[in-house]
Amino acid sequence: MQIELKTSLKALEKAKKLGPKGVLKRLDKMGVVGRGGASFPTGRKWKIALETSSDEKFVICNADEGEPGTFKDKLIIKKNAETMIEGILIAAYTIGAKRCFIYLRGEYDHLRIELETKIKEIIKKSGLAVTIEIIRGAGAYICGEETSIIQSIMGNRGHAMYKPPYPPVEGLWGKPTIVNNVETLTGVSQSILFDDWDSSLRLFSLSGNVENPGVYEFPLGVKMSKILDVVRSKNKIKAVSFGCFGGFMKIKKNMEITHENICKEGCQHGAFSMIFIDETHNIVDVSYTIAKFYTYESCGKCTPCREGTIRLLERIKQVKEGKATKKDLELLKEFAEHVQETSLCGLGQSAGNYILTGLKHFKSDYLEYLK
Amino acid sequence: MKIKLNNKYIRVKEGETILDICNSKGIKIPTLCYHKSLFPEARCRVCLVEMNGKLVTACSTFPFEGAEILTKSERVIKARKRNIELMMPKNISCDIHDDFEICDIFKEVGLNEERFESLKHYKADLGASVVRDNNKCINCGRCVQVCAKIQKVYAIDFVSRGFEEHVAPYNENHLADVACIRCGQCIVNCPVGAIAERPHINEVVSALKNPKKHVVVQTAPAIRAALGELFRIEPGTPVTGKMVTALRKCGFDKVFDVNLGADITIMEESAELLKRVKTGGVLPLITTCCPGWILMMEHFHHNLIPNMSTCKSPHEMLGSLIKNYYAKKNKLDSKNIVVVSIMPCTAKKFESTRKELKSAVDYVLTTRELGRLIKMKGIDFNNLEDEDFDPALGISTGAGAVFGASGGVMEAALRTAYEFGTGKTLTNVEFKQIRGMKGVKEGKIDINGVEVKFAVAHGGANILKLLEKKEDYHFIEMMACPGGCIGGGGQPIYRDPDVLRKRMEAIYQIDKNMPLRKSHENPIVKKLYKEYLGTPLGKKSEKLLHTTYIKRSRF
Amino acid sequence: MDKILINVLKEVQDNDGYISEKAMKNISVKYNVPLAKLYGVATFYAMFKIEKQGEHIIEICGSPSCMLNNGQKIEDFLEKELKIEVGKTTKNKKFSLYKTSCIGCCDEAPAMLMDGKPYTNLTIEKIKKILKKY
Repeated sequence: MQIELKTSLKALEKAKKLGPKGVLKRLDKMGVVGRGGASFPTGRKWKIALETSSDEKFVICNADEGEPGTFKDKLIIKKNAETMIEGILIAAYTIGAKRCFIYLRGEYDHLRIELETKIKEIIKKSGLAVTIEIIRGAGAYICGEETSIIQSIMGNRGHAMYKPPYPPVEGLWGKPTIVNNVETLTGVSQSILFDDWDSSLRLFSLSGNVENPGVYEFPLGVKMSKILDVVRSKNKIKAVSFGCFGGFMKIKKNMEITHENICKEGCQHGAFSMIFIDETHNIVDVSYTIAKFYTYESCGKCTPCREGTIRLLERIKQVKEGKATKKDLELLKEFAEHVQETSLCGLGQSAGNYILTGLKHFKSDYLEYLK
Repeated sequence: MKIKLNNKYIRVKEGETILDICNSKGIKIPTLCYHKSLFPEARCRVCLVEMNGKLVTACSTFPFEGAEILTKSERVIKARKRNIELMMPKNISCDIHDDFEICDIFKEVGLNEERFESLKHYKADLGASVVRDNNKCINCGRCVQVCAKIQKVYAIDFVSRGFEEHVAPYNENHLADVACIRCGQCIVNCPVGAIAERPHINEVVSALKNPKKHVVVQTAPAIRAALGELFRIEPGTPVTGKMVTALRKCGFDKVFDVNLGADITIMEESAELLKRVKTGGVLPLITTCCPGWILMMEHFHHNLIPNMSTCKSPHEMLGSLIKNYYAKKNKLDSKNIVVVSIMPCTAKKFESTRKELKSAVDYVLTTRELGRLIKMKGIDFNNLEDEDFDPALGISTGAGAVFGASGGVMEAALRTAYEFGTGKTLTNVEFKQIRGMKGVKEGKIDINGVEVKFAVAHGGANILKLLEKKEDYHFIEMMACPGGCIGGGGQPIYRDPDVLRKRMEAIYQIDKNMPLRKSHENPIVKKLYKEYLGTPLGKKSEKLLHTTYIKRSRF
Repeated sequence: MDKILINVLKEVQDNDGYISEKAMKNISVKYNVPLAKLYGVATFYAMFKIEKQGEHIIEICGSPSCMLNNGQKIEDFLEKELKIEVGKTTKNKKFSLYKTSCIGCCDEAPAMLMDGKPYTNLTIEKIKKILKKY
């Protein structure tokens, strides 16, 4: 896999030769974009931080991979942390940051000691006067959101903040801060060193009712049938859920997995976590799990997410227990849309996808459960 | 920059939020978590508007060039309604007669469907001054922000997360059991009445009904400057006469003026100042009229105890005189006298329970409670005739009146201290440099060749600022609430900080119109000292008018 | 340099098994953080516990991937075997049982963490063995 290629501090060397502006140019040229889901061009993000003058700047490596069904960053940390750390150093060098952080999700604490050793080693070798501290996440999905991660590092509750100001202008302690995830930063090192680095290759976390779950590398535009061939399943796969937040999609074997095609189905691909669901399962049951997830992981700050997600859970539970009518489905749709439209951050804004796409593509699963 | 607001092109300044723009154009946007003196957090999502097809919160969104904004589209109205519906389930109704902001929102936004039952089951937080009911709370966060940022007390914060998120002191303690200064700023910032004063109306009403009890009421200087607001009278209109009449109609046997207590406080405090300056006592001398500040000092800065004036607060002084001097003079058994103080303050409720003060005051009602009592008694406040305080302990001076505003105690004390210290007459009695809403104010005055430096702070954050440079001064006045007592936690709930300025103006107007403006010129004060107290800081004064402080935990 | 509060709390959680009122008061004084705020932070994160826990903390993964692979059966079995509901501690104070959103072991579902260490591809037989080890 491309993601496993090691850059052995040669990328940093090259970055130093290119100079900060050269690095930005290189990132743009190689087509490096954020891998967390928003696909924001990395070079542009860094440019803002570089151009904002400040006595102090920060780099945060987002290793708070909390989206259910996602486990690709874990693989990178296990197999190629060196290259990721080098990416952090390149970021620090480029924007002029001295203090960097890796926000490691609490569930990955078992990877921490080894990661710490590697950090020490690489910083020593690099000769840069930069520190990288591991922040030990403590179990909050919202802290994968960039404003929440910043609040969390500052010692606050991980509440999401509205934007602007954007972190590259005003982030940690009010200073310019860039937040990139593990996959992006690894790609940064690789894209700088290797001229044949392929920006279209993505990591897919595949799981669910399949026989060969795992992390795979595919180019954008890969056919669904190819993915299905790789993962294989005992029963017929009827749906795929993009993590918890991206919604349910019907399996169309000929579909090419691209941003546009997935959006057309009313779904969001995010970090390409695909949870496959076979025909022995009802979408409502999976939805119930997702509803519980949202109620539990909402930060509680804004009304629609805090009060809305629990109402969605309440109604999904009614459906599951056979106590709901068609009118309840209308209410589900109304409030799923409402929560998405009026919530403050990305969590709430996606907290209705599973209902909206479920009702759109798998209405019969709902009808099966009605009174 | 040009934008299109409700289909009309308008020019706007950059750096203005949609809410600012709409306010300046007279377009009303409903808001709940937003408050002019706080940082917008965009929690409640009630101020939603449509900007280029997206729903955004007006309080936190800056429009871009050419943005098209709709404030009244069907989509906007529906979205607002749904958020209200979510935060206010059908079994949580509001207490209309206190005129909370949420009631206005109901009127503006309307609610035609109530589809949800409340799922919250919080235990009430009870205490002697401030009580909370999280079942009503809509998590707007205003109380948390005002406590942490404006008051710098930080007694409460959000706890837990998601649907379980709620406001609480640490460990789910009652406010009464933590380092809360009872200032009540959380109450005046709460849009739904989830935080309120501990009510004492029932106790007062039953005392009034009891024929054996002689019920005396005394009103603080700040009440008359704000009570009218509860009866839809323009803010800043003094209602002293109507207030006295209303209190008589409520059945109080005597209506006294705390301003007299303030005059006595000045006698004692200025003597204290002069003594400390002359004898090299502990300086700066810090005022102690504000029970919120006293609690703040006792919890977080008890190293300052030697600096504190030993004077009781004005209503406690008057209460003490009522139960001793007045009782004796009128041959009343002090056990049968009930002293009720009407205060702009919730911390005064706590103060009246302090053991050192020996129950000089039995009950404290806030301005809001008095408003409720007047309405309960069916009194048509707006059409009342003006009456005067009872003469026995009801004559006061302008110096007593200015106690209601930040800087007032200082000003009143200086008027007297100057004349006591120099033996000369002070012609210009107005100390303009310590008036107004500025957070920390200062000045100096020459008293017999000594340059006495003084400073004033109001609001917890400003108090901390002043404490950092306290050594620079001889005399410091501290008030826990922004604006002083006029902005107290017991005052009518206001939304526009300008209301505070208007109340302040009312206070200074009252002072200006007083025939006597210096405490030591008050004939009752003179008589009291001659007949009963002797001299300021004398034996009797020390016993009746002075108190002590204790160290409390910072938690 | 600003001290990272969440790391400080995590250390206390690791060492004491929970963040007691006493520990919070110490942190409050040492780092000058208001106690109410500290309590707010400690209760925000799922892994911080403010009550005394069992000797070992079991966190069952509640992700859809685990749910699709018999995760519910694992949860039911653990509740039955330990005679407690999720969120509670056993009578002998040996185990505390929790459910988390996802532990990132979706390719080895169903999975759980025992004191932070992942156990994957769980079956009832496997869990019996694991419980015996502790």
